[in-house]
Order: sequence, then structure tokens, then C-alpha cells
Amino acid sequence: MSEGAMASATRLTPDELHGWLAGMLGDKRVLAAVDEDGLRVFRSVERADQIALPTGKTRWSPKEFLFARTETLFAYSVAGNEVTLDGAPVESAEQVLVGVRPCDAAGFLRLDAIFLDGDADSLYASHRVRTTVVTVACDEAGPECFCTAVGGSPASDKGSDVHLTRVADGWLVRPVTAKGDRLTASLAGVGRAPSPEEHAEAETQSTRVAGHIRQSAIAREWAAILESRFHLPLWETLGRRCVGCGICTYVCPSCSCFDVTDTGSASCGERCRSWDSCTFAAFTRHASGHNPRATQAARYRQRVLHKFSYFPLGHDGESMCVGCGRCVQLCPVGLNVRETVQAVVAAAADGHDAGG
Amino acid sequence: MFQQSQAAATTPAVAETATWQPQIVALICNWCTYAGADSAGTARRSYPASVRAVRVPCTGRVDPLLIVKAFEQGADGVLVSGCHPGDCHYVQGNMVARRRFTVFRALMDFLGLDNRRLHFAWISASEGAKWSRAVDEVTTAVRAAGPLRDWGRTGARRSAVRLPAVPAAPRSAPSADDQRAVGGHLQRLAATLLTEGRVSVVIGYTPGSLPAQMVPAFVTRPEDAPALGWSDRCVNNLSVYLPGAVRQWGKVALVAKRCDVNGVVGLLQESQIARDDVVVIGVACPGVQDDGGLALKCHACGGDAPPHADWTVTPGGAEPGAHPSGASGAVAADPRDALVTYLESLPAEDRWAYWQDQFSSCLRCYACRAVCPLCYCAVCVAEKNRPQWIPVNIEGKANMTWNIARALHLSGRCGGCDECARDCPADVRLDLLNHRLSREIEQRFGYRSGADPAVAPPLATFRPDDPQEFIR
Repeated sequence: MSEGAMASATRLTPDELHGWLAGMLGDKRVLAAVDEDGLRVFRSVERADQIALPTGKTRWSPKEFLFARTETLFAYSVAGNEVTLDGAPVESAEQVLVGVRPCDAAGFLRLDAIFLDGDADSLYASHRVRTTVVTVACDEAGPECFCTAVGGSPASDKGSDVHLTRVADGWLVRPVTAKGDRLTASLAGVGRAPSPEEHAEAETQSTRVAGHIRQSAIAREWAAILESRFHLPLWETLGRRCVGCGICTYVCPSCSCFDVTDTGSASCGERCRSWDSCTFAAFTRHASGHNPRATQAARYRQRVLHKFSYFPLGHDGESMCVGCGRCVQLCPVGLNVRETVQAVVAAAADGHDAGG
Repeated sequence: MFQQSQAAATTPAVAETATWQPQIVALICNWCTYAGADSAGTARRSYPASVRAVRVPCTGRVDPLLIVKAFEQGADGVLVSGCHPGDCHYVQGNMVARRRFTVFRALMDFLGLDNRRLHFAWISASEGAKWSRAVDEVTTAVRAAGPLRDWGRTGARRSAVRLPAVPAAPRSAPSADDQRAVGGHLQRLAATLLTEGRVSVVIGYTPGSLPAQMVPAFVTRPEDAPALGWSDRCVNNLSVYLPGAVRQWGKVALVAKRCDVNGVVGLLQESQIARDDVVVIGVACPGVQDDGGLALKCHACGGDAPPHADWTVTPGGAEPGAHPSGASGAVAADPRDALVTYLESLPAEDRWAYWQDQFSSCLRCYACRAVCPLCYCAVCVAEKNRPQWIPVNIEGKANMTWNIARALHLSGRCGGCDECARDCPADVRLDLLNHRLSREIEQRFGYRSGADPAVAPPLATFRPDDPQEFIR
């Protein structure tokens, strides 16, 4: 973090911060992490007292506000000889995601690369343009976290519009983008410039939390190694215990696959897209019954290679995985993508060739 | 038949008018009730025009999912009617159906569906008067219940219902020495079984990548047996791997806790594996820890050695055979009973709100299905798309249909390992749904899962005198 960037930060008291966030209610849709009987997820909040800046991450990433679990692509209705076609419902309300972890913000950048590069996905683009992201630097890391191994950092402002850092008795608020400037415009005259001690505290926190994540780096050049070891028999051993649920892909900040389905009758209906998962057997099952990814281990390999090989090879080596660790934490059978990658690369280094 | 948007488009408009007429779907059997309705017509009996009759060959054909679909598509009430017991054209179809309806009704009641919306009747071909009376009464009841507008929803949880706190664990964690001893015995036994060629793979547990985590392990060579271990974090029910492992390897040895053995028994009962395929290594398990401490399923389990085992492993050693003490060994009440009872004590509308909340968060990742040993179908109903039984959309209505279908498909089969609930990323209390239905089946049909591989599952059989007080 450069000194210049830090210079534009404002130090707010918790009350001032709360006032700023509460001021967004009304004209904007405010999405914040809410604890629902032990389940912490991002929800649309209506009241100021619902806005909290929690520590720890939400159970799943907030990607659903850019890439919904299910959304309508178009709808049709037929009356007599008249066919009416309605496009996707257009939402125009500005939305602010408050309290996003750096890993989840990095996830948004991955989704941008997937949905916006080349011919942009118009639905995703329409959600993205009206979304402002307020990130919070992590003040703790879980045993599953490994953002630092994939080029991230618990204090990163990548993908952020406004970046917050917790300091003793207050918060440092720093706009990162033009969107962030607009969102923080209401802070004119509020708060004060951070003291050198507070700058130092933020730096210390960043170093401390990053230090807790003791996971060795996943090197960029591994993308090619992994791809060349597609046929390594080790994949079968590594993926053997995968039971084929979709938890890892649905809680993932960067998984973006969907299924398109039509429901309807002769008189009306709609086409929707819904999240889908490469870990499901039906994901690649052909109408003939043939499945090119015949085993669960092959499906697990697909997920690992997409994150750590196929995507990076097309994106300057950048990992699609952002290291949030949710898939590691929530996998029913304790699969760990980071360890899988390391095991395959280690096998490659041991001289195992591409196999059969 | 199942056109979601069509029903959605018509129901609210109809409901809004002052002359709202309930839409009731009647699933009626071809041989008795359909003819009975016909005779009511021939006799010029009048009854409300609120019923849409769907003729089925037999009530035995009525998968409860048909009823669920009717509600999902906008019905305000459902009536199922067929031949009286003893009069079934197919001899016993209605008596098999009766058990299914018993369980379905218990589930819908537990979910908090207004019981004025769901009706069952036996109406014979000669009972035109009973048909018109039944339609009259059902229409009155559904009209009193009003339009069904909240079948499934999406978004933030709204219900104020909070489950009561669970009593403290009745025992402390087992000693590290005991756990290490069990792990050592498992390693030696696995090495022996593999060396002697009695099995091709041993499925057990090995340390995972997170602190204290234990994860499933497949050991195929004796020299890899030292990877196996044991602790109170061996949460997985490894019997989920059995059918696939038998196909891949032939003879399989499986490390199983008391609750996991229920899964093995279920697979045997349903002919998914043969007894000779599997060597069950039963571990006398003093309980496993999940995130909240001792798992709820373990409170009432005395840690007895599993039945149906080929080997029994305790801290003292590994012995051939099963050695359950037979003593109940129950050390505390099952907290799931108290939680189910609490939910049952609430007004139905509060229960309904609670479960609507629960299902609203469901991501449809199908982890509940993936970790369940009894969810072995090659093609799950969720993947059947002609018609689309479970809508693909990840939203309220579809989540309702999926969660109801899952609970029903496991009723009378679930062994209570609670893996589905432990793994659910949305914390949906699937354990309580399963537990409620297991209780119903035990009370009604005197059946407990996992007891005897030779006994037919309760919903695959019937007794002529099964209770039917809910059928008019």
C-alpha cells in the first residue's frame, strides 16, 4: 500500500462510520453480512441497526448479488396470435456491498474477467455497473485461509471501491475508485486525517494477519505443469473421496458456471439460468448417456485445473482461486484444493510423466 | 400438466376477487372414486366446482410428489381418494399408499402446512353421496384456510422462532490414549486384512488438512495402513462409499460407528451390496464432535459396539465378530426429540414460517444427497426432467419441492447419522426432519432403521390394520 494512497484515508469513529453507512439506506440497496441464527450471509438490510461490520467471513461469497442463483433471461406469453416477449427484468437501484473481505472482492475481479471480457454478459454487466464494493481488511485469518498463496492479501484493496481498515477505536476509510469517491462524498467534513500511529497500526495488522496464513505460494508457472499432468494417475487417488456435492462451487467467489432451463407451456413461460456445478455428474452427461467426465475424480480434477491451470493460462498466470478457503472448510470429506495442487506439482517434480 | 408459470399467472388473480374459489386438485383412483364421482354426476348431486380431478390407476400410484407438485403449481388444497382397504383393484395398492400418506401427512404437519389443505378419503364406486359430501367438506375447509400464497420463498430469514438450547454433552471427550489405541488396532487389522487378501481396500479415516480434522481414506496396500487413525472427529459416514467401492474393488472393509452401520444395513436391505462384499469393522465409538461440541446424535448413544460387525475394535483390541452389549446404554435423552417436540408445540403457522426460512437459504448444492448412504440412485428425482419434477431454479418453490422430496425419500430408510445436516452449508435442520419422520414410523409401524437387514423397509410393506384415522 503506497503512502500516497494512505494519505487520502479518513479516520472515522465507529459512530461516524455507522452514520455514513446508515445514510446509504433509502436511495440505495445496502447489502451487509447478517447473522441469521448462526448463519452469516450477505442480505439486503433495511434498518441501520442491521448494518454490522463483522469479523470473519460469510458462509458463502456475496457473488449472488452480481451473478444470481437463478435469474430470468426472458419470458414469453401467447394470447391468440399475439406473442409477447419480455427481456430480463431490469433492476436499476444502486447497490452497495458493505463489509466484503478482500478475497471476495478479488472474486468479483475473476467474475469480471469471465463475464465482461470479450462479449460482455449483459445481465452481469447491468448488475456490476450499479454495484459499489466496500471492503474491510481482515483482522483475523482462519486455518482454511490461503489468499496469500494465490497472490492476494488480507489487506488488499483489489476489486474494492472503498477500503476500510479497523484501527483502535475507529476505522480508516479510503476510496479506491471513482465509484468509491462518490460513495464517500458524504463524508466531507466528517472524521479526521489518520495519525501516523494509526497508519502504522494498519500496516502492523496487515502483516500480522498475513503472517497467520502460513501457506506456501502456488506459483504461476504451475499452471502449465498442472495442465501437462492431466493424465497423472494420482488424480484418481486425490479425487477418490469426493462425493460429488456442489458445496465448493456454490460457496466459491469465482465459480461461475450455470445451467439454462426453460419452463412453460403453450401460453407462457420463461428461460432462466441457475448456478450449476462441474462436480455434478449431470454437468457433462450427454443426451446419449455418455459422460466425458466419467468419474468423480475426473470432475474434481476439472474443478482444480479450471482454477489453477486453464484460467491462469488465459489470464497472465493469475489464479482463478482467490484463496478464501471456503471449499476447504466446508467440504464434507475434507478435500483441500491447495494440497491437491501441491501434490500434483510435487509428483511432477519427482519425475512422474504425464502418465497414460 | 406441470406448468409453473401458468399456475403462478392465474392463482393470484383469482385469489384477489371477492368470489374467490379455492383450487383443489383431487387425485382419484380409476376403479373406485372416479366411478363414485361419476355416479354422483349421474345422480345429479350438486357439489362445488372447485375440484380438478386427476384420474390415477390406483392410490398406490400416488407418489406424494404429485401432491407436492399440485401445491407448487398453485393448488390451495389437495384431496386424494381411492378404494376402501380390501377393495383395491390391485389387491394392496391402497394399503401401501396408506403408509406413504401417513408419513407424508406427518411431514406436512411438521412443516406447519395448514391441515385444512390436505385430505384423504376412501370412496367406492357406489358412494356418490360420500363423494359429493367429501368435496363439500374439503372445499369448506380449504376456503377457510384461504389462498395458499406462501409455498416457498427466497431471501432473508424472517421467522422469530429460535430452537431451544441443547443440554450439555452427557460425557467428556474420550482420552487421547484410548483414541490412539483404537487407531493402532485399526492399522494392524487393516494391514492384516489386506495382506491376507481378504479385502482389496479398507475405507477408514486419516488426518485431514485442518486442525484435528479426520477425513475419509482408502487404503489398498498393507504398507499404507499406518495412514489410518481414529479420533472423535471421525464424523463421516463412510458407508456412503460402499456401493461404488464394491463395484471398483470387490471386497471392501469399512470402518463404521454404531450409527454408520445403519447405512450398511440399509444398503443390504435394499440389495445395493451383498453381505459377502463387505467386512464391517465396527468401532465402539464414544461419540463424535462437530462444530457445536458432541454431535446431537451421540447424546443418547451409549457408545456400544456396533451390531452386524465382522470385527469389533475397542481401545482394548480388535476382536472378530460383533459384540454389542445389548444394554440400551442410553446415557441421556436424545436432544433431537426435545427439538422436534418444541417445534411441534408451536402454532402451525409459526412452524410453517420456520421451515420456509430454513428452505429459503438452501443453495441446492445437493450435499445432503451426496453424503447420504441411502441416496444411491443412479438418477436422482432432481435430475429427472420429463417432466421436471424438481425445478432447476434455486428459489423458494423449487427449494420446498426438493427438501420435501428428499425427506420423504429417506423416510423409513434414514439411519439417523445426521451427515446431511452436518454438511449443509445453509444449516438447514435436515436432522430434525429426518428425526421427526423416523419417530412417526417407529410409533406407527413399530419399525427402527438399521435393526435387521432381512426385514422389508416399512414403506415397502403394510399391515391390513395399519392406522388410518386421518382418512375420511
